Amino acid sequence: MRLSVPQFWRVKESLYKLILTKCLNCGKVSVFKRSTCPYCGSPKVVHEESQGIGVIESFTRVYYKQDSSEDRLPEVVAVVKLNEGVRVVGEVVGVKVDEVSEGMVVEAVLRRYASDDPYGVIYYGLKFKPLKQNNTR
Amino acid sequence: MGAYIVGGSVVKVDRHFEYGYRDLAYKALSSCEVCENPDYVVVASALPELMAHQVDVGVHIVQWTGRRVPVVRVESGESSGVAAVEVASSLIRSGAARKVVVLGVEKVTEYPTYIANRMYSLILDYEFEVLRGVSPPVYAALAMKELLRDGFSRECFSSWAVRMHENATRIPHAMLRFKISVELFKDVQVLAEPVTLYDSFALGDGASAIALSSEPSGYEVAVEVKYSSSEVGLPAYSRDRVSELAASTKLLKQLGERFGVDLRKVVVELHDSYTPYPIALLHSLGYIDIRCELDGLDYLNLSGGLKARGHPIGATGAYQVYEVFKLLTGGFNGLSTNSEVGVVHSMSGPDNLSRVLLLRRWK
Repeated sequence: MRLSVPQFWRVKESLYKLILTKCLNCGKVSVFKRSTCPYCGSPKVVHEESQGIGVIESFTRVYYKQDSSEDRLPEVVAVVKLNEGVRVVGEVVGVKVDEVSEGMVVEAVLRRYASDDPYGVIYYGLKFKPLKQNNTR
Repeated sequence: MGAYIVGGSVVKVDRHFEYGYRDLAYKALSSCEVCENPDYVVVASALPELMAHQVDVGVHIVQWTGRRVPVVRVESGESSGVAAVEVASSLIRSGAARKVVVLGVEKVTEYPTYIANRMYSLILDYEFEVLRGVSPPVYAALAMKELLRDGFSRECFSSWAVRMHENATRIPHAMLRFKISVELFKDVQVLAEPVTLYDSFALGDGASAIALSSEPSGYEVAVEVKYSSSEVGLPAYSRDRVSELAASTKLLKQLGERFGVDLRKVVVELHDSYTPYPIALLHSLGYIDIRCELDGLDYLNLSGGLKARGHPIGATGAYQVYEVFKLLTGGFNGLSTNSEVGVVHSMSGPDNLSRVLLLRRWK
């Protein structure tokens, strides 16, 4: 499935950065740059950028095939609780799949998502990698 | 003015490589005796643009069947079928139509399964979830891990699948009409640890036609659409727990509070795309604890559920409604109940959106 360049460009702040949305009404913080709070619907929100560091709360090794190639499987997808207290789900890379553990400290990094092969655009976005091997909290 | 289901028909959920979406729709429609001469057709389908390259699928189905009746297509992800019944009921209650046919249809086998998986994953948020590698089995896995941490056993989820397969053996239109055992889970393909293929729904093509009327007296049997409601939940990544199905729990609790519905005493079809979800839901409603005993829930997913009857995505809700209708009005294939009340629960994604219908036998 070819990706849309304008669509990717448009949501770049959510793909290349971890922008948080703070609600001035209910006080809750949500992930991604939003114009309204997903919890209370208030438009009174402010944005700030996350440091991109957090802890793996839970994870799964994924074998679900969505591509003709199985080269990338299994991949690890984790729920990461950021230092700012917000959860985000994303792929974990830079570590063997059987070495990922709950409590592992990770940081967001820019990695390749997909490409319009063979000579097309390469699309990048955030994934997570261990901040320091075997560093658990 | 009330809205009454007066009949219907379904096509076996299966890999119908020989039939396109129009053929499937026609098969369901032509075998539904009471579906003749509607004022309106509501087509439920989730993936025709992606799987069959067809926009405005409702119009092309109606044209194909040689009719000139007004038609609208309803798309609400996995809950499209129940959404279509809601729309049809509203058309009747408002007086805009006296008879409406709901036609759920989905083709999911036009491409290899991995492409169907990719299309199905789009029930999640493409920009915020899918691009980041999140797919429906990922959330099911995270939900199952939470429940395992709560004290549920792995066998609890396997047993749900075993029960659904056993139920499906009695359902003529079910996709997986064979029994499985808990032992089989040891060697089965893993989708996302700890969720396996046997914890997942069966993906198949399907079509279901249901006739609704404002005037039930002229029909042999009728079931009233007593109440319908829907609720949007938080994105799974914004919840404290993925297994917290707040929208579904709220809707089903409301049925108990407003209408005295006890799921142990009614025919009920729960959305069980992945085994953790019905377990989480029944737990949050107080019907089961971590011992996972389903005793007393005798009329629960007699169809075999999405797990074994199969899940033709946007058409599934129309199957669920047909099955509850049949079970309230004599049953099928020797399978019957003595209940007069039925509940249909449908959701899209991991409780991103939930819908319930309350059905009551009228005659």
